[in-house]
Amino acid sequence: MNIKKYKFPLLAIAVLVTVLSCSEDYLEVEPKGTFLTENYYSNQDEAFAGLVAAYDFLRKNSGGFENMVTMMNAGSDDFYAGGGNSTDGIGIQNFSNYALNAIEMPASFWTDHYRGVYRSNLMILKLPDVPMDDALKTRYMAESKALRAYYHYNLVKMFKNIPLFTEPLNPSEMYNVVQATPEESYALIESDLIEAIPVLPSTLSSSEYGRLTKGAAQAILGKVYLEQGKNSLAATQFAEVNGTPGQTNQYGNALLENFNDLWDIDNKFNSESILEISHTNESFAGWGNAYNDDAEGNMISTMVGPRGFVDLDENDNVPAYSSGWSFNPLLPELYELMKDDPRFEATILDCKALEEQGKISYVKGYLDTGYFLNKYAPTVAEEHSGAGDMWLNHRQNSYAIRLADTYLLEAEALGGSGARAQELLDAVRDRVGLPSIPVSMDAILAERRIELAGEGHRWFDLRRNGLLATNLSNRGFISGTHEVFPIPYKELENTKIVQNPNY
Amino acid sequence: MKSIILSFFVGLLGLVTTAQTYEIKGTVSDSGGNPLPGVSIVVKNTTKGASSDFDGNFVVSNVLEGETLLFTYIGFTPKEIIINNSNNIDVVLIEDTQGLDEVVVIGYGTQKKSVVTGAISSVKAEDLEGLPVERIEQALQGRVSGVVIAADAGQPGSSSTVRVRGITTLGNNNPLWVIDGVVIDAGGIGYLNQSDIASIEVLKDAASLAIYGARAAAGVILVTTKKGKQGKISVNYNGFVGISSASKKLSLLNGAEYGAVLNEASVADGGPILFSDVSALGVGTNWQDVIFNDSAMRTSHEVSVSGGNEVSTFFASFGLSDQEGIVMSEVSQFNKKNIRLNSTHKLSDVFKIGQTLGYAHKRSMGIGTNSEYGGPLSSAINLDPLTPVVVTDPVVANNAPYSTQNVFRDANGNPYGISNWVGQEMTNPLGDIQRSIGNYGWSDDLVGNAYIEVTPIEGLVFKSSVSGKLSYWGDEGFTPEYYLQATSVNSQNRLSRSRSKGFGWNLENTVIYNKTVKLHDFSLLLGQGVYVDDISSGIDMTYFDLPVNNRNEASFNFPVTDDQKIGGTWTGTEHTVTSLFSRLSYNYDEKYLFTGIVRRDGSSRFGANNKFGIFPSFSAGWNVTNEDFWPENDIVNKLKVRGGYGVTGNDAIGNFGYLALVGGGRNYTFGSDGGIIYTGYSPNAPDNPDLKWEETSQTNIGFEARLFNNLNMTFDYFTKETTGILQPVEIPGYSGASGFPLGNVADMKNTGLELELGYNNQFGEFNFSANGNVSYLKNEVTFLGNGKEFISGGAGFQSMGEVTRIQVGESINSFYGYRTNGVFQNMNEVNSYVNASGTPIQPDAVPGDFKWVDNDGDGSITEDDRMFLGTPIPKFTFGLTLNLSYKAFDFMMFTQGVAGNKIFQGLRRLDVANANYQTSILNRWTGEGTTNSHPRLTNIDANGNYGKFSDFYLEKGDFIRFKTVQFGFTLPSDIMSKIGAQKLRIYVTGENLFTLTNYTGFDPEIGGNVMGIDKGFYPQARSFMFGLNLQF
Repeated sequence: MNIKKYKFPLLAIAVLVTVLSCSEDYLEVEPKGTFLTENYYSNQDEAFAGLVAAYDFLRKNSGGFENMVTMMNAGSDDFYAGGGNSTDGIGIQNFSNYALNAIEMPASFWTDHYRGVYRSNLMILKLPDVPMDDALKTRYMAESKALRAYYHYNLVKMFKNIPLFTEPLNPSEMYNVVQATPEESYALIESDLIEAIPVLPSTLSSSEYGRLTKGAAQAILGKVYLEQGKNSLAATQFAEVNGTPGQTNQYGNALLENFNDLWDIDNKFNSESILEISHTNESFAGWGNAYNDDAEGNMISTMVGPRGFVDLDENDNVPAYSSGWSFNPLLPELYELMKDDPRFEATILDCKALEEQGKISYVKGYLDTGYFLNKYAPTVAEEHSGAGDMWLNHRQNSYAIRLADTYLLEAEALGGSGARAQELLDAVRDRVGLPSIPVSMDAILAERRIELAGEGHRWFDLRRNGLLATNLSNRGFISGTHEVFPIPYKELENTKIVQNPNY
Repeated sequence: MKSIILSFFVGLLGLVTTAQTYEIKGTVSDSGGNPLPGVSIVVKNTTKGASSDFDGNFVVSNVLEGETLLFTYIGFTPKEIIINNSNNIDVVLIEDTQGLDEVVVIGYGTQKKSVVTGAISSVKAEDLEGLPVERIEQALQGRVSGVVIAADAGQPGSSSTVRVRGITTLGNNNPLWVIDGVVIDAGGIGYLNQSDIASIEVLKDAASLAIYGARAAAGVILVTTKKGKQGKISVNYNGFVGISSASKKLSLLNGAEYGAVLNEASVADGGPILFSDVSALGVGTNWQDVIFNDSAMRTSHEVSVSGGNEVSTFFASFGLSDQEGIVMSEVSQFNKKNIRLNSTHKLSDVFKIGQTLGYAHKRSMGIGTNSEYGGPLSSAINLDPLTPVVVTDPVVANNAPYSTQNVFRDANGNPYGISNWVGQEMTNPLGDIQRSIGNYGWSDDLVGNAYIEVTPIEGLVFKSSVSGKLSYWGDEGFTPEYYLQATSVNSQNRLSRSRSKGFGWNLENTVIYNKTVKLHDFSLLLGQGVYVDDISSGIDMTYFDLPVNNRNEASFNFPVTDDQKIGGTWTGTEHTVTSLFSRLSYNYDEKYLFTGIVRRDGSSRFGANNKFGIFPSFSAGWNVTNEDFWPENDIVNKLKVRGGYGVTGNDAIGNFGYLALVGGGRNYTFGSDGGIIYTGYSPNAPDNPDLKWEETSQTNIGFEARLFNNLNMTFDYFTKETTGILQPVEIPGYSGASGFPLGNVADMKNTGLELELGYNNQFGEFNFSANGNVSYLKNEVTFLGNGKEFISGGAGFQSMGEVTRIQVGESINSFYGYRTNGVFQNMNEVNSYVNASGTPIQPDAVPGDFKWVDNDGDGSITEDDRMFLGTPIPKFTFGLTLNLSYKAFDFMMFTQGVAGNKIFQGLRRLDVANANYQTSILNRWTGEGTTNSHPRLTNIDANGNYGKFSDFYLEKGDFIRFKTVQFGFTLPSDIMSKIGAQKLRIYVTGENLFTLTNYTGFDPEIGGNVMGIDKGFYPQARSFMFGLNLQF
């Protein structure tokens, strides 16, 4: 073959091939199925999606293994942590026996709430520029402010000395953030709620259930005032929410006639619910995304269920409970207090008695007492059977605030004395058919303990009334240290954050 | 027979033609006078040929005057003889064992071994002949110094973890695989068939790695498949059939022992006696007998055809292999079919083209491996022996749950036993596999390349090569409704299918110019390449609640309503790299050697400010023995010293790390029951436009020598530093970001020594060779970010939390836990273990509890008392291959092992009080003086004897494994020639015959991202195989 003839065409081909494949455009790969931050929030749909992301962390009450309800229950005088053994969930175990430290503190209680704060701040920042209906925009803004306030409130309740954010953190300031004083934190929370309340809707259409309402924001504000000891302001707010004790309030809320109906899984967003946390079994959460933002199941159910529950007699009236992880075993003290109360059956699942009667068998978990939290205990009938894992997809909602709670809080804010306080206490007791008793701070506290057992309020009630040391020193509680959580140790690496005393 | 007919025709021809033809006879032997059988004799430029018989005799007919006979034989220098007028020639062939002319593949070309300046180890086809390896990583294990290979599981079809010169980065440590010029990521090499391989080269030092630039930091492994060679067509069949069994089982408690132990644990915690008559429990069920199949079958058949003439060569092969796993063979099996076609064609003196094409179809069924959360292995270890495998007692079978629930039953209708003692994920393995029996995964891989070489003038070669790889994979599964136990129930059956596709391609153009001017020899390479991979997508679909509850009848054709169908689709993100590279090799008289490389790579994964990186290297060598002043002697025959330094990069970081993206899935539900889940979007993490590759710079010094005429030695010392390892920059939680931005943050260092020795000699008819290697490696994490001392390690066990830690100043992922210091024998010891102020350090301990070392001396036992307890990365790895042959018999033994590492054994579930124990529990503390190394039985375990991670859970991982032993017998060639065959060899092979180790678990070789974590590791099987190799 005469190469010389073909020298130039060959050279041309070689150069062409080289040039064609040399293009640096190959290096530009665009991400698909996602957005760049700088371009997002450009229309109403995107704004709503951003709002949903801000709502996401309301789930912290009852979603994920590290949720507020089971955690706060575990440290109270009504429950232990429980679980499989002494190291099952080291954070909740250590809170239960007052051995928490900065390393074992479950960081998600801090970080998840700050994510909520960040996402709310992002909405507040971006909303003004979004081309959308003004009325909706105003409402979204109010919801974002109220959410920001709620998240900051949970943070200051748990950690006391927290950094505050009114806008997304600039990366250049990442390590310069300092904590605010509790007064400053509460001031911001109050002002956010006060701004939001006039704008938030009084009632919701059924497709919007789960979003914040005026009543919910007022209830939160009431709690915020009460936490600081601003009792008369608290009482005023609660009065807005409570209305006439025992009657329907201005928003359509009223105590349910039957206490047991509160725990009917299908009875979502009933009239007693003020702020309810939404769960569903349709997120099909599996172990791959177990506690992620897209897992929407209620974990309290799985956690408080007894282990290895077997209903030995199908024909008796003992419902078949689904198996769980035996957390929050109820203490005998609470059992004794409640055993003759009409709310006993709805609150306590007495496996001890059932086993003695030969009706069931179950595997005893760590620190088993035989008593389980029936309000959230899962049943076989309600087990999720679709995609994902049964344990991660319980659909029962949880109450962050319900009317009985605000009744008793208002009574507390009124100092536990006076006619209105008496009416409020009576209304709660009357609902379950209990007779009236003279109102007092002790009576209110005792009523809250029984009415709201297992809903995560007890520990905060004790703290607010200065009773943590009295009731919990036998568990290892130390005054001056354990009134607040330790700040997770990672937050102190290279930052200006100062740890809470004695941690 | 053939030669008779041939001679006849030749004779006929001889009547017709007038040219002088000869029949050449003779003997081929080696320098020692020993006859060489099977020597290939070819008449050049024709297809005539023959081979020597067992006595070295040969006959070649119809040879024309002036034609050339070419004698070739593996391991010997080829010889050519021009035919003049002799009819009888005796030929002597000279050995070329690892000699001067051996050629090494160095990436974009080859180089004579004598002038290579980098550290490159090779494995040749003959080292792999007849080995029953299923995957190519196993072919390398123990044969190459500096490379640590550990199987990810003993399950058939499992991959292995391959680490070249230590752990290079905190991210992806897989080396780059280049198969015939096609760049393949570590996940895709399973399609390769071991007998198709001609050679494997491992590039270890930067001097040789830099030619692969931004993807080479963790090493490069070059694989060249057989191309066929000039000569008559040869057909080769290799097949074997064998049986595998478990080489080791754990020693677990039997029924009576279990009862006694549980009683003791219960009483220790203040509970009741659970079993009043322990001996009545008897032996109970041995679950390991249930899961292990001691006669698992494996078979393999391969046929290859190769040949060529002076214009074309080709190599084609076809193979089938089937392997049953030793654990639950019904659901653990692997089979593979593969085809290959390679060819090269010389179109003219100037143009040459070639191609390679390999295809493999794999089908596998597998069980989960190495997890404490379920699976037959974890179940067999943790289940109580009191539960029967199958319930035959009608009293039990007619009660709950057997009579009330949808339990699995055996062929006779008896239900599989359900434990009343152990629950959670541990279930009767026979029942468990009924959930997934028949489910399988499959894949089709097609990898090929084609090239054209143009040599317009001598020494100048243009080559353009295009490669592609196309994969399809998927799985099919059915899960029935079932009740396995109270915590493992499925009330809705489902049928699922997934299909995915992946495609990638490369295009490379290179120019090589070789020129020798007097004693100066230059070789210059210029190249350019584009690499695109991960053009991928997938679909999966699941139907729920089919009207039938068994696999055979399940079908996607049932009319299931829309809300019972769940499916998803995904699209992968492309990864692209563009490169320019060059290499200059120079040597002067093969005495002074020099190589320099520069490569410029850009990757789609790097940020805008750092799109391209430059990776240079230089290396030099000196062939001391080529010097005039070096005296000829019989001690040091060859000596080359060499050294080099270079920089390589790692772009195996995720995609879009440099962008600030908004992510979805931040969902919340609104609406009353039956509410709608709304998708929420929010930003992930702040962006990082400075994101770039991780950089590894390496210095290597070594020498290669040939001593005493038959001992080859290679020694290397290296130190390699990786900087800018990508790590999520852990910004504080109060920033509220959902994820951390990536930054080039951390640094790591590896140093090591490698030694390879090879000895080869002949003693009369007895041939002996030994090849061994040993490597030493030390790894140290040097920097993790400002103020950051450690990162929690990659391995944990249940509620124990982290078991390894990555800390500055320590080896990566070293074990981090408490140190024990004996067992308290009595309360006096507890009370006298005090701190400086006299208070007991473990005030709540009781006799029988571990005494923990108060490492930080603060007077109490806290998390800060943990310390580093050892490393899972072996300090030493070694291998030895012995080959002996005597006349027709051959023997090969291959041993490999490691030393200096520890293994974490986490087999027993911490949260299951009634889980079974290994018999080591029989040595527990039961009273003063009974033992000082095993704590008392307790479930509450307030002291954390079992719940804390400590040296109690660590064992030495040193082992020596007799991996392969093979005996072969080659039938005499005169018998062979009667059936027209060249060679028939029958052999028996034993694999994993014997492992010397102190490790008490199933298998001490445990791979994975963090090696040495045993949570129920699927052990490698011991196999015996009988095989046949037939060549025509």
